[in-house]
Amino acid sequence: MVHRGACAMHIPDGYLDPYWCIATYAVTIGFAILAFKKVSKKLTPEQITAITVLAAAIFVAQMLNWPIPGGTSLHFVGGALAGILFGPWLGFFVLALVVSTQAIVFHDGGITTLGANILNMGIIDVLVGYGVYKLVTRIMGNTRRARLIGAFLGGWLGITLAGTMAGIEIGLSPSFPYGIKITVPVMAGWHALLGIIEGIITALVVDQLYQRRSSLVYVAQKQAIPTHA
Amino acid sequence: MAAEQPLSLYQRYRGAFLVMAVLLIVSPIFGVILAAKIGYHEPLDVAAEKLHLHEENIGDWTPFKDYTFPGLPDTIGYIVAGAIGVAVILGIGILAARLARR
Repeated sequence: MVHRGACAMHIPDGYLDPYWCIATYAVTIGFAILAFKKVSKKLTPEQITAITVLAAAIFVAQMLNWPIPGGTSLHFVGGALAGILFGPWLGFFVLALVVSTQAIVFHDGGITTLGANILNMGIIDVLVGYGVYKLVTRIMGNTRRARLIGAFLGGWLGITLAGTMAGIEIGLSPSFPYGIKITVPVMAGWHALLGIIEGIITALVVDQLYQRRSSLVYVAQKQAIPTHA
Repeated sequence: MAAEQPLSLYQRYRGAFLVMAVLLIVSPIFGVILAAKIGYHEPLDVAAEKLHLHEENIGDWTPFKDYTFPGLPDTIGYIVAGAIGVAVILGIGILAARLARR
């Protein structure tokens, strides 16, 4: 049987120091409360449906683990995509739903480390992806070219910084003998490389959704919740 | 004039559901078959093994661990587990949307 195990970005139980588990849970819960306050009065049933459809699609996309000779793998994470399409607040809920389902239903990623995993993929990846995309489209204008470049850079930097954060969390946990001087360069370097694929997929998906005038884009724009972080 | 019927979830997001179905069907090629062929292990698992660390087992709370389904071969189980994940996520969304309508 193939033991799929936790992926590079899904930290399992036992890898993080209890203080890190508590701290990352606290940050994630704090962000969740803030995000909920930002969207709760403006959130429509159509938006809720749209974000869960995107969450389901990202969940399925994450199941396509591309094995790489040498014994590792890469798969799409989707935090930047969620942030680009729905902004930082709803984007957070998209990834929080995906990562929580993976941990609770499939034991993919730990329960004690769920706060850290949502922080990395649902906050950092989403915020960075959203911020970079907004910056690029503000500078270059809301053109197809700008969307492609912005989504690529957002997807790449989002996953790189999320991986770097995972490296910091693991490196500062005494249970993992290598310190951050090793874990951060390894995680950052590895994800900067994998991030190229993440960026390409993010750019292509954003482009296709806009070109096809997808319902996802329509709902996200038509009933836009403030997308300012 | 007849009132316009609201589109169902499937009608509104038919494209997304079709893409999901195709990805789910091909997912075992990547997540199970190719993974077995190259002896795939996740980077954190490899690092932990080298450091003689073990994932802390705080209990097996789910029968679908690692995207399997009890009694089914890994390939079919992977697809069924994926479908369960999609159903859970969409179920939460439908429930939340109903609550928001009230």
